Amino acid sequence: MINNIETPSINNSYDIAIIGAGPAGMSAAITATKAGARVVVLDDKPRSGGQIYRNVDASPLAKPTVLGADYLKGSEITAAFKRCSAEHISSVNVWHAGDNGELLFSLEGETQRLTARQIIVATGAMERPFPIPGWHLPGVMSAGSAQVMLKSDGLVRDGAVFAGTGPLLYLIVAQYLRLGVKVKALVDTTPKQNYLSSMSEITGAMSAPRMLIKGLGLMNEIRKSDTKVYRFAEGLEIQGEEACKGLSFSISGSKHEIVTEHVFLHQGVIPNLNMTQALGLKHTWCEQQLCWTPETDNWGQSSQGVIAVAGDSSGIVGAESAAAMGRICALRQLVNIGLITEQQADHEAADDLRFMRKQQHFRRFIDRLYRPLDQHRKPTNDQTVVCRCEERTVKDLKQGFALGGREPNQLKSQTRCGMGPCQGRMCGHTVSELLAEWRNEPVADVGYYRLRSPMRLVTLQELSRFTNLTPVSTVDRASSGTSDSDVEANKEQELAQ
Amino acid sequence: MTTHKSEVLVIGGGIQGSSTAYHLAKRGVSVRVLEKDTVSRHASGVNAGGVRLLGRNLAEVELSKTAMERWQQLDDELDADTGFRARSLINIAADETDMETLRSREQQMHELGYFHEVMLDQHELRERLPHVAQHCIGGVVSEQDGYAIPFHSTQAFRIAAERIGAIFCEGEQVQSIRKVGDSWLVATETQKYQAEHLVNCAGAWADLISVMIGDNVPMSYSAPMLMITARMPHFATPVVGAVSRPLSFKQFENGTVLIGGGAKGFADRANNTTRLDYSLLASGAHHAIEFFPIMKTACINRMWSGLEAYMPDNLPVIGKSIRADKAYHAFAFSAHGFQLGPVIGEVLADLITEGESRFDLEPFRVNRYERKVL
Amino acid sequence: MFRSLNDKENQRSLINLTINGKLVTAPQGQTVWAAMALAGETSTRLSPVTLKARSAYCAMGVCFECMTEINGMPNQQACLFEVKEGMDIRFQEITEQTSLLNPSDSVSTLTENVGGNHD
Repeated sequence: MINNIETPSINNSYDIAIIGAGPAGMSAAITATKAGARVVVLDDKPRSGGQIYRNVDASPLAKPTVLGADYLKGSEITAAFKRCSAEHISSVNVWHAGDNGELLFSLEGETQRLTARQIIVATGAMERPFPIPGWHLPGVMSAGSAQVMLKSDGLVRDGAVFAGTGPLLYLIVAQYLRLGVKVKALVDTTPKQNYLSSMSEITGAMSAPRMLIKGLGLMNEIRKSDTKVYRFAEGLEIQGEEACKGLSFSISGSKHEIVTEHVFLHQGVIPNLNMTQALGLKHTWCEQQLCWTPETDNWGQSSQGVIAVAGDSSGIVGAESAAAMGRICALRQLVNIGLITEQQADHEAADDLRFMRKQQHFRRFIDRLYRPLDQHRKPTNDQTVVCRCEERTVKDLKQGFALGGREPNQLKSQTRCGMGPCQGRMCGHTVSELLAEWRNEPVADVGYYRLRSPMRLVTLQELSRFTNLTPVSTVDRASSGTSDSDVEANKEQELAQ
Repeated sequence: MTTHKSEVLVIGGGIQGSSTAYHLAKRGVSVRVLEKDTVSRHASGVNAGGVRLLGRNLAEVELSKTAMERWQQLDDELDADTGFRARSLINIAADETDMETLRSREQQMHELGYFHEVMLDQHELRERLPHVAQHCIGGVVSEQDGYAIPFHSTQAFRIAAERIGAIFCEGEQVQSIRKVGDSWLVATETQKYQAEHLVNCAGAWADLISVMIGDNVPMSYSAPMLMITARMPHFATPVVGAVSRPLSFKQFENGTVLIGGGAKGFADRANNTTRLDYSLLASGAHHAIEFFPIMKTACINRMWSGLEAYMPDNLPVIGKSIRADKAYHAFAFSAHGFQLGPVIGEVLADLITEGESRFDLEPFRVNRYERKVL
Repeated sequence: MFRSLNDKENQRSLINLTINGKLVTAPQGQTVWAAMALAGETSTRLSPVTLKARSAYCAMGVCFECMTEINGMPNQQACLFEVKEGMDIRFQEITEQTSLLNPSDSVSTLTENVGGNHD
């Protein structure tokens, strides 16, 4: 690449810091290092791949093929990522990111600090909370957890009930069946009306026929098995006092109850937005996906100059679009730091931008079809736990609301809802939607928690040991992208005073 | 457009403004509070909650002692849960120099007839704080001190005030203040207010209001930083400070530990935001572990700072306006005004309804930094 | 019960650890949560307010339900840590009612081991 814009060289800073090593983060790193940028990638998992390609290079399974071709394809991008010159810091807790380009993270018992001229947030998605009575009881887990446990540890659970809606739910059930793991039942909460309303987006679905066929294939696989499938279920409740004893629900007015000690719940995914929120980026309520999303332009550029957001953390896009978005964000930031020109970025991003537009049509169809039920997002039962950390129920929140907690932060101060270690991850969306309902106002007017660092718990001891991290080597821009990534990082010891 | 009229207009819905509204309403005075954001949104809602008489500047001791009496009854008076707990406050002496500091303070206080600060030797310190580090050799305790939950305390004043007729207007940022005849005319973006008396309790924004009233004041503002841990086993009942180290923490009944110490971040009051200085927080973490080894197991859950106003002498501005009639100030409490909240409302109510206060407010004059003409 | 389909167990070196005092072996690279689940020790902590046993929910670092005590350090997310030789994993019992006001109550073991989980 030709550097035709004058930029100052700062040797003790990275050009681009990327948070998250899923498809978006990895592809951003590959693109950025190709252009000669000094890149660091920080990720909370031991191996790259994100949740979607978790352990794709180190599967505990004898035949990882049961996990599907889309999963195995991940090894292409993880291999390319390993080859690129980005420094990859794994198993690290990034607990602060600042709009000034400062990152703080705890690694091996101490806090390290680095600075970067640009930051790409690629922290992916998390599952939408499923606040129904008893969802906090031992034995109830998310369907995503079933998949994570399978991919990373080969761990399965026989005789479990899977309940909810969304492609991931059917995928994990199909994977279980392929592995010969007994599934007691699939309780599908996709309402009839969604099949009808999603028809208006059917042209969008047709724009990605491969994904449509994959989805139908999964349903067929499940139907052909002897797994009991309940459709159009609503009013889900976990039975049990101390632990899960069963799942009850109703279908067109008639009550059902399945005895089980293990339920996996799922109703779609939402952006993992603690970092983008704590960074103070502008967010908007996305009615299509029923979640908060950071405001970005087509290039992933956020409301703060040096920060871009790529992949599912910018709004749910799926793995392939996430990878495309990672490349696009990197190109934009390469322009920002003067390593490529705008014309080069336009040229190189053209295909990805086109691909993403096409995918958006398909996404609209999926979002319509698997739109979760209101009653499973906005709990009405007084006893239902909303905040799992501080154990606050719908009743507690109603009391806080009556005392003036009309906005998420006031309600939090009033009730401690959202004050626990998960920092509102498990209750934030529920609170926004409940308050909107109680106030009879749009969710967008209610807002979300004001989040601050640390984004994860950090021990006082880690905080007290404070060092600076600088790039391993200065990149020779002419011979771009050939330095070895496995060099032990330079650490400049500096005791904080 | 109608003009909202009341006898008194308070600017600022923090604890001082809310307490003032409560005390005025109690005397049958019609009062309205204008808050630019929401009540207790800033320092009054997010401070460390220390209810401290220990180590007060001599100018503040009388006010602070009266406030402390009020705190002991406050939940009953306001019919609310402020979260106040009298747990005592201990300042730890880490070395002989600290002990010398404490001895001379003790002598000074005794000479003035104050006996609420009691020195502790090493044994007594350890009895009260079993987990204190070996090197700590003594300290000083004030028994009535403790903590309260700031957001709940400020809301308690607000709700009690509203119950007896005070009106709180949120989202009302003052744009102009004029004195026309005997009346104060205050305009926000969409509303107009009129009152006979005007009270400035605008916290980190109080210098701006002060200037509109006609009093220049060398106030500054900053962002004192705090952190709170996930729950820990109960290991400290008293609130803890240190004589000469930036250390301060308290463990709440729910087990969480709030760590302060006075380190300041960076304030951006125009945007209602603050930025933290993490290397300073790291140093605070270091001190906490040094004094209490059990804090090695502490996990920080949140870090934050509020916007707080300071005067160069770290004493508040309390009293009548110098330049304008029927205008009053109570601001710049310099990070120790929360405890004074219950009494400041009384002081202002006295100034408004009686024309004077029984406390000596001379050290808190708004114009105490104005250059004397030679 | 959870079970493992880990066919390569013999190829991965085994790690010794204790979970709630029980001696357990786990393949290198396994998460602490997986080791707990396979050992039948699925309770991770006591909830601090109502004092009920909780267990992992998301297994991917989001929900903080799997906070356990690892080598004396509380609030460690079992799903984010990999097993290490000699690791001591315990059900976390810090609630609003836990007291260590008497320092002889096991606090010495608590503080001396701290940090060991990071090597």
